[in-house]
Amino acid sequence: MVSGSNLELLLEQGHFAVCGEMSPPQGADKASILKKCGYFRDVVDAVNLTDNQTAIVRMSSVMSSVFALEGGVEPIMQMTCRDRNRLAQQSDILGAYAAGVKNVLCLTGDYMSFGNHPQAKGVFDLDSVQLIRTLADMNEAKFMSGEEIKPPPKLFIGGAANPFAEPFDLRIIRLGKKIAAGAHFIQTQPVFDMPRFEKWMAAVRDEGYDQQVHILAGVMPVRSVRALLHMRDNVPGSLIADECIKRMESVVDSKEESAAMGVAMAVETIKRLKQIPGVHGVHIMPVMWESITPKLVEEAGLLPRPQPSHPEPVEGSERGEEPAVASQGAQS
Amino acid sequence: MSKFSERVAGFCEKHPTLYKCVLLGENAVKKPVFRCQDCGQCVLSYNAYTCCMRCPKEIRNGPCGGTMPDGHCEVYPERACIWWLINERAKKLGRQEKLGTYHIPVDRRLEHTSAWMNMFAGRILPLDFGKKCKDVVLTKNDPPPVK
Repeated sequence: MVSGSNLELLLEQGHFAVCGEMSPPQGADKASILKKCGYFRDVVDAVNLTDNQTAIVRMSSVMSSVFALEGGVEPIMQMTCRDRNRLAQQSDILGAYAAGVKNVLCLTGDYMSFGNHPQAKGVFDLDSVQLIRTLADMNEAKFMSGEEIKPPPKLFIGGAANPFAEPFDLRIIRLGKKIAAGAHFIQTQPVFDMPRFEKWMAAVRDEGYDQQVHILAGVMPVRSVRALLHMRDNVPGSLIADECIKRMESVVDSKEESAAMGVAMAVETIKRLKQIPGVHGVHIMPVMWESITPKLVEEAGLLPRPQPSHPEPVEGSERGEEPAVASQGAQS
Repeated sequence: MSKFSERVAGFCEKHPTLYKCVLLGENAVKKPVFRCQDCGQCVLSYNAYTCCMRCPKEIRNGPCGGTMPDGHCEVYPERACIWWLINERAKKLGRQEKLGTYHIPVDRRLEHTSAWMNMFAGRILPLDFGKKCKDVVLTKNDPPPVK
């Protein structure tokens, strides 16, 4: 056990985990985060807080994660390499961990030209694999400079994988790099093409990676065929089976039917993913449709969420130790 | 690298004119042939002789998740994804297993310096022609090279 986060305990104890995802508001609006937390509380095990996703400015993922904690939801803080250099990344990690964030997902980040500030300079000081290695070193009480961190953060480190983009064989190699760098869990892009995902999982199992890391497969409920077509045509690296589009097209007449079909398709996907060996959980991405999560999770038969058993605190439990170290720091 | 190569690099770096000549010669080869981006810490031999710094995100442990189905870049759809190219060439050259090498973050102090001299001085990974590579980690005490 590294961080003792709810997500980590569940995965380590062999439960099928469910993650959610919400995007922070495009305004100084704490209330909207707390409201969205209501859709996820007791429904999912942890929630991703995106970091300026698609390069559009939103509230920082660090602060949103802190607000999510207030809202009673365990956050998975996303951190991209687009907006910060290695100093800022390490300092944000220290701050976020001190505030109670225990899960971090490391991403390279969407390019600036996709967002609303295409004039911006991209930082890309590290890439996502190097960021994972940095956090793994920080868990070992080492800054990138080699200096000691007192006290160090203890993070459950995640990475992303895209089973649907080319080149297929290099993606497996890169997944191995992320695991070697120190990733504990992997979240994938949403699955809309089951045969391709199964092929990817087979390759992952061949390398034995499913034994070394927890793979959480992405699931995205869509409200309309328009959303699917937009993903197919405008989101690079997504692969959408024609069958999905046909099924969504069959119900274009009414909004309610269309939404019901979207949920039904997502439920089917979750049930099939549960059967695939090596998949340890699902990552639900209800983009701009957070309110559907409780219904989706319930219909997929994943409620109530299991509670992990907390391991016995070992010699002077971590919680007992931390304040002592903090007070020493304050005195010196 | 060896003691001898370190002395060669040390000698060149003490003589700015000589160093500039080496840098010019290196760029004359690397820029037209590999479209070198001058990071000063060359990993060409690990990446099937294709410069990964041409990636818009400068990913050294690539590719990102946005490669198009036809192998094009998400940022500049008219260009090929560099990592797709690297993979294709590595397959042809039988060097695909080298793509699993972890590359440490770029040392920005080495940008626009001679990668050859940095290699001789032992600051960066040596060329990999087939032997097992080792992880060379820079410490903050390394002197910044001359520009």
